[in-house]
Amino acid sequence: MYKVSRTGRRALSAGAAVATATLLVAGCSGNASQGSGSAGSDSTLVFGITADPTQMVPWTSTSEQSIQVLSQVYSTLLDTDADHNPIAGLAELPKISADGMTYTFALKKGLKFTNGSALDATDVKYTFDKIMDPDSKASSRSYFASVAGVQAPDPNTVVVKLKKPDASFPVGLTGVNTGIVPSDVAVDSLETKPVGSGPYQFVSRTPNESITLQRNPDFSEGKPGAAKLEFRIIPDDQSMVSALKTGSIDVAVFDNPVTAKTATSDKVKVDTVSSLQYHVLQLRAAAPVLTNVNARLAIQCAIARKEVVDSAALGAGDITGPITSPEFKSDPDAQPCATQDLAKAKDYLAKAGKPGGFALNLITSQGLYSTAVNEAQNVQAQLGKVGIKVNVQTLDSNTYVQKWLAGDFEAAIAQNGGSADPNTMYARYFTSTGSYNKVAGYSSPELDKLFAEGIATTDTAKRQAIYKQLSDQLVNNAAWVWLFTPKEFIAVNTKVKNFEARSDASLSTLWKASLS
Amino acid sequence: MMYLRHPITRRVGEAVLTLVGVSVLTFVLLRVVPGNQITASYGTAAGELSPEQVRSLEAYYGLDKSLPVQYFDWLRGVLTGNLGVSTTSHVSVAQLTGQALPNTIELAVLSILVGLLLGVPLGVLAASRPGKSRDNLTQLSSLLALSVPSFLLATVLASWLANNFGWYPNGEGFRTLVQDPGLNLQQMILPVLVLGISIAPPVLQTTRTAILAIRAEDYVRTARAKGVPERRLQTRHILRNALIPVVTMTGLQFGFLLGGALVAEQIFAIPGIGRQVLLGLTQKEYAVVQSTVLIIATMFVLVNLLTDLVYRVVDPKARVR
Amino acid sequence: MSAATELNNVPDVPIDATRRKRAWLAAFRTPAGIIGVILMLLVLVVALLSLFGLTPYDPAHQNVADSLKAPGSGHLFGTDQFGRDIFSRVSSGLANSLRIAIVSVAAAAIAGTVLGVLGGYYQGVVDRIVGVVTNVLFAFPSLLLALALAATLKRNWLTVSISIAIVYLPIFARVARGPVLTLRTADYVLASTAIGRSRFSTLFEHVLPNMRGILVVQITLSLSWAILTEASLSFLGFGTPPPAASLGGMVYDAQTLSSVAPWMLLFPGIALIVAVIGLNLLGDSLRAALDPRTGSRR
Repeated sequence: MYKVSRTGRRALSAGAAVATATLLVAGCSGNASQGSGSAGSDSTLVFGITADPTQMVPWTSTSEQSIQVLSQVYSTLLDTDADHNPIAGLAELPKISADGMTYTFALKKGLKFTNGSALDATDVKYTFDKIMDPDSKASSRSYFASVAGVQAPDPNTVVVKLKKPDASFPVGLTGVNTGIVPSDVAVDSLETKPVGSGPYQFVSRTPNESITLQRNPDFSEGKPGAAKLEFRIIPDDQSMVSALKTGSIDVAVFDNPVTAKTATSDKVKVDTVSSLQYHVLQLRAAAPVLTNVNARLAIQCAIARKEVVDSAALGAGDITGPITSPEFKSDPDAQPCATQDLAKAKDYLAKAGKPGGFALNLITSQGLYSTAVNEAQNVQAQLGKVGIKVNVQTLDSNTYVQKWLAGDFEAAIAQNGGSADPNTMYARYFTSTGSYNKVAGYSSPELDKLFAEGIATTDTAKRQAIYKQLSDQLVNNAAWVWLFTPKEFIAVNTKVKNFEARSDASLSTLWKASLS
Repeated sequence: MMYLRHPITRRVGEAVLTLVGVSVLTFVLLRVVPGNQITASYGTAAGELSPEQVRSLEAYYGLDKSLPVQYFDWLRGVLTGNLGVSTTSHVSVAQLTGQALPNTIELAVLSILVGLLLGVPLGVLAASRPGKSRDNLTQLSSLLALSVPSFLLATVLASWLANNFGWYPNGEGFRTLVQDPGLNLQQMILPVLVLGISIAPPVLQTTRTAILAIRAEDYVRTARAKGVPERRLQTRHILRNALIPVVTMTGLQFGFLLGGALVAEQIFAIPGIGRQVLLGLTQKEYAVVQSTVLIIATMFVLVNLLTDLVYRVVDPKARVR
Repeated sequence: MSAATELNNVPDVPIDATRRKRAWLAAFRTPAGIIGVILMLLVLVVALLSLFGLTPYDPAHQNVADSLKAPGSGHLFGTDQFGRDIFSRVSSGLANSLRIAIVSVAAAAIAGTVLGVLGGYYQGVVDRIVGVVTNVLFAFPSLLLALALAATLKRNWLTVSISIAIVYLPIFARVARGPVLTLRTADYVLASTAIGRSRFSTLFEHVLPNMRGILVVQITLSLSWAILTEASLSFLGFGTPPPAASLGGMVYDAQTLSSVAPWMLLFPGIALIVAVIGLNLLGDSLRAALDPRTGSRR
């Protein structure tokens, strides 16, 4: 999930929404569970967002706002349950061949796009081929890295052939950026007038102001709860709170607990949800000053993660280990220093041959997400206690992204995306050939082997054991120092019924919400 | 060649040069700022783009051409009436500006009005008894208005009204004056107040200084000596002349406000021209920023040119440069 | 504050050398001038504490156990979410504001005055070039210009100062150009060139010293605008980057917490306003004192 600042004002993110880390788990139109909204209502549900969506074609979507809006317009082949595990979407869960190389999807019957044309296997093949096109602008292209080809033998069947087994493949198909687009509408026209099969259909857009959608009566999973859904852009957090209080918007998402608290009233209820994303102190073992594992372990031992959460994120987070995927979750305490241990940190420093500590350059961003600078300041203060002198460089979002991508840093404060699948989360960082290995700055033959085993195994229990070892490898070598998973706060007006707050503030079940 | 030396031709020539300078400066600044549209819209996900993808994106955003070619392509477009297209919203810059500019103009006009309504009477009041308590009082309030940062005033005002009175019209979707005059004017109240308060002090000072200066002029003394009634003297002779510099400076303020009351637009969610530039800046929408800044600068230069010409007509002394 | 305000506040100060000395002193005898001096002394003392390391705490020292403490014993202005002492941070923030204001105004004043004087004195092509440069900088929306410049450079207090300096440069160029036009035809200047002095030495001996008054007033007023601009930039996230303390940044950080810890907003806000009022009072008194038309009283 691409993470984006919600603090519109500071962010200048007025602009919007730059991704900090990749991956996208937010499901599309929800699952088949019951709960159709109060059907009679024809009022408009208003959702406050802080910036204009920057992309309108599903496969290019990276910004949080694009994902929020497009998840209401497009459907994906698979959806997710509350734990982010893939479930049936436009298609049933796939049949996987014994060798793990062929995935066969059966599409549901009678699917339609909002322009009236039928949604069949041709459209799925068209969408996936577009994403895999080397010239495409797709941000989801890497999900298809192991795909050899897509076939549509009949209108209701899609067959995907892989080059090698890839147990993480289905998770990619739940992301908005693999949403199915109609094959008979030109891509250029989708940029201005999206056509999907999601719960709501596109009506109009006023740049910088709002996007209006209306109920899709043909939505495959039920009747969407509101006649109209409006995404309204309010760049300033305090203004957002005011708008919630006066009832002019119905739903908004905050990442700051105090802002969320000020929004709470007898008319506004706030739900706290967890997230698969994780905040991390990235260390680049490739940087000379951090090459020695003992130097990295010293950092791990010197940091009280609880204090980072309490001060920088005002308590809005849970301490975490590397893997956040619910089925494979790492034990946050399974690491050499589960809590701050300054004596041990000094031992490690001595073993590293730097008993007096050392100087460390740390980059952090302003404008990507609200707590980044605070985390850097707290980490700086904590490491100072063992003589590690941290030089914090606060960069604007674009400069940060460039340095981060180039691996041009020693340490970085980052908020990275999680996934229901641990391979999707980390293979790109910690396999020696991974696309972000330069960013991660650490790899080992052991890790390469574990990743290869994990992806080739389909049995969940066996995979859990593999990823447990993998997680241990990461923390025992202090590849990075994992801090916490953030909490998000969804503020909802009490007149909204049937709204189900989901982790990661996913809007996959927003369609059920209606106004009383 | 005689025409080239005429002051008006020269002013127009200068104006054109200024605009060229502004466009070059904008162009250079945008390219020097780290990052481009690819990193701006893909963020860290840009790391997963293949080299082919990066190449096709560069072609799409026009980044594959050399810098001079990029500049002259854009300039040619502007001269032929094509301001470019926003690649995120797929709307032409002309259309974007067509929506945003009226809002900014409305905001500027209303703010100037409030600034004048506050500043001129208070300036007259202050000048009526220079050095006395009412003068000191107005000076003090003008000083306070000058010294409180507008971002502070804006946020405090907004949250206070919403928390204690449940009134915050800016949370509703923005409506233009044409769509819904009632709501639009409500939405303008807070930003206009904040901007008006920051415009009033210089208006007040200009009015006060001008009145005091004119009162000391010979012709006023002569008029008074000739027995012109005091009331008539105050309005016809003093106030009217004192307003000339006030008008000039109002024109100037107006020009600057068109450049975007950035903070007010941002905090009060007014979709104006300032936010359009800011958005373009963060999204690296080169065409949007270049064209919008050029439009702002053109208006600024035009307003200045007009004020200048008006001034030349009103005040013969100004004709001699 | 818009640049229009600044342009309009270009002081109308006589360039008559004889009045100068007494007028200067007169500025500090008015109540406004005295209050201005007192406020600025207060601001300076508080700012100097951090410069000499005399603040009660290290402004960056965190003690999370003491977070969000209300003002009182131990912490005069309370603490923030990291348990940092607000008083120490206000002190260091003031020092930062003053440092940026002084450096940016000094740079703008020197560069702008040189440009303005050159343009006014030599006229012709030089004047045209200076004119175009100042016009371009004026026509560019000022806050956006500062923003764009700040985003361009590797951000620290110095580059922020440079961005602000570039925005203010044209004001000084215009302020300086006017009087030079009058002075270059003044009798004593003409006489000086007539007796064979070079144009340069004439410039430095006769023209520049006579502009001191006008520049001093402009500089005092610009300092307050620079402080406000730095605060606005920090508020928008383009000013002095954390962890350095900046008043605008502190106000920004405090906003979300203002319901639980109003002192986080209050004290940096007050410090900002006091510094700006102090400089404005000083500038106004100087202007009033040096402007014959409004008399020595304000």
